[in-house]
Amino acid sequence: MAAGIDEREVKFISLMLSRAVGGMNAEVCDQCGKCSSACPVSKEIEGFNPRQMIGKVALGKNDELLKGDAIWTCTTCLKCRERCPEEISPYDVILILRNLAYRAGYNYPGGYDDFIQGVKESGYISRPQTVRTRDGGKLSREDLGLPEVEGPEDMERFREIVEMIVKAGKSR
Amino acid sequence: MKYTLYPGCTIQSDQFGYEASVRETLPRLGVELVDMKGASCCGFPALSSVSKVGWHYLSARNLAIAEKMGHPLLPLCNGCHLSFVETMHFLEEDPELMNIVNGNLEKEGLRYGGKVKVVHLLEVLHDKVGAAKISSLVVKPLKGLKMASHPGCHAIRPSDLQKVDDAEDPQKLDALIRALGAETFDYPEKIDCCGSQLAVASGRTTLKIAGDKLKAVKSYGFDGLVTTCPFCFKMYDGRQRAIKGALKDNTLDVPVFYYTQLLGLALGSSPERLGLQMNMSPVDSLVERITE
Repeated sequence: MAAGIDEREVKFISLMLSRAVGGMNAEVCDQCGKCSSACPVSKEIEGFNPRQMIGKVALGKNDELLKGDAIWTCTTCLKCRERCPEEISPYDVILILRNLAYRAGYNYPGGYDDFIQGVKESGYISRPQTVRTRDGGKLSREDLGLPEVEGPEDMERFREIVEMIVKAGKSR
Repeated sequence: MKYTLYPGCTIQSDQFGYEASVRETLPRLGVELVDMKGASCCGFPALSSVSKVGWHYLSARNLAIAEKMGHPLLPLCNGCHLSFVETMHFLEEDPELMNIVNGNLEKEGLRYGGKVKVVHLLEVLHDKVGAAKISSLVVKPLKGLKMASHPGCHAIRPSDLQKVDDAEDPQKLDALIRALGAETFDYPEKIDCCGSQLAVASGRTTLKIAGDKLKAVKSYGFDGLVTTCPFCFKMYDGRQRAIKGALKDNTLDVPVFYYTQLLGLALGSSPERLGLQMNMSPVDSLVERITE
């Protein structure tokens, strides 16, 4: 068990959330909706609305967001961050809320466990595959003369560090 | 011009057409690429959503290796590029985070000192090599082809952390397309997202978002779409068949290329050397037109 790390991580994440939205109140976020009008997900998924999300965070209604699915359906396109006239970044707020939801043990898409498992096993999310060609053949990196992929030299040490920091041992 | 090459998980695992075409074309433009030893995932999107510290540790780990090597770091993936840019920003801003990260890097004999420069492929091609030099080396001009430019979100935003290109009016990829003899023009959906990062939570919405853009690109009379991002490419090319199914539109055929694949064809490389046999969208007739 990584003594200290967890507490520090939670502290760091909380600090980020307060930095991102700390001074935020109705006067800072005008609820102008530039974020939502730029958002590609708002057009497709009813109930996904960065303007409303920032409104909820500003009112301290974080729990509602942490327990819901909405925070996980951001595409990270960054248009909301780019266009906000008050330099509030819904993108950053959403990533921080995801971190907090994961820590708190609320629901998150299982795909993230696979990503982390991949990193712990090989250093990367995924390993080199044989890739299909348009005419039904298959090609490897070697077939194409691409160099072999090398991960961290001391995989054991690397895995220990990642496990300690991420504490991703939590199963679904 | 010497750069440390960082392909990243997605490209080295299955986007061989991108990596092969980069390795084939950049040296011909006078760009020397050096491979990394002991690299790992940049942390996006695996850890950025669930462990901010883990994300910045992984990103900084690669930055530290690159720093040791002494050349600017060239990540080929838009996601990795932004990941490095964001980590550099957060580490500079937060000494406590820097201490945690360096404390762990030390265990592998690494240290992040904030001295490495990170460059985007579009910057290398447009700002360093330049469209004029590329144009002067073209032996098979892409005459008569209208190609849509898709730089991808993480290459152009957020403008307060990176200046690869203008966030609202990016023109570098366009200039690079024109350098090959092809035409391109602005279209309303040019800086729109491919939706790929939604795949982990909602596959159907992802297909709809990507499909809407492909439909738009086709409606403006473009012959194909060009990008430098592996996530965007996988959506528009690899998943084009699934998009057609989801949108119930069998006519939605849009040839999709990595910029370096088109660059290679224009420089006279064979389609096989550029990994074009692995593009899943209908690229054959355009490739024939260019190579004949």
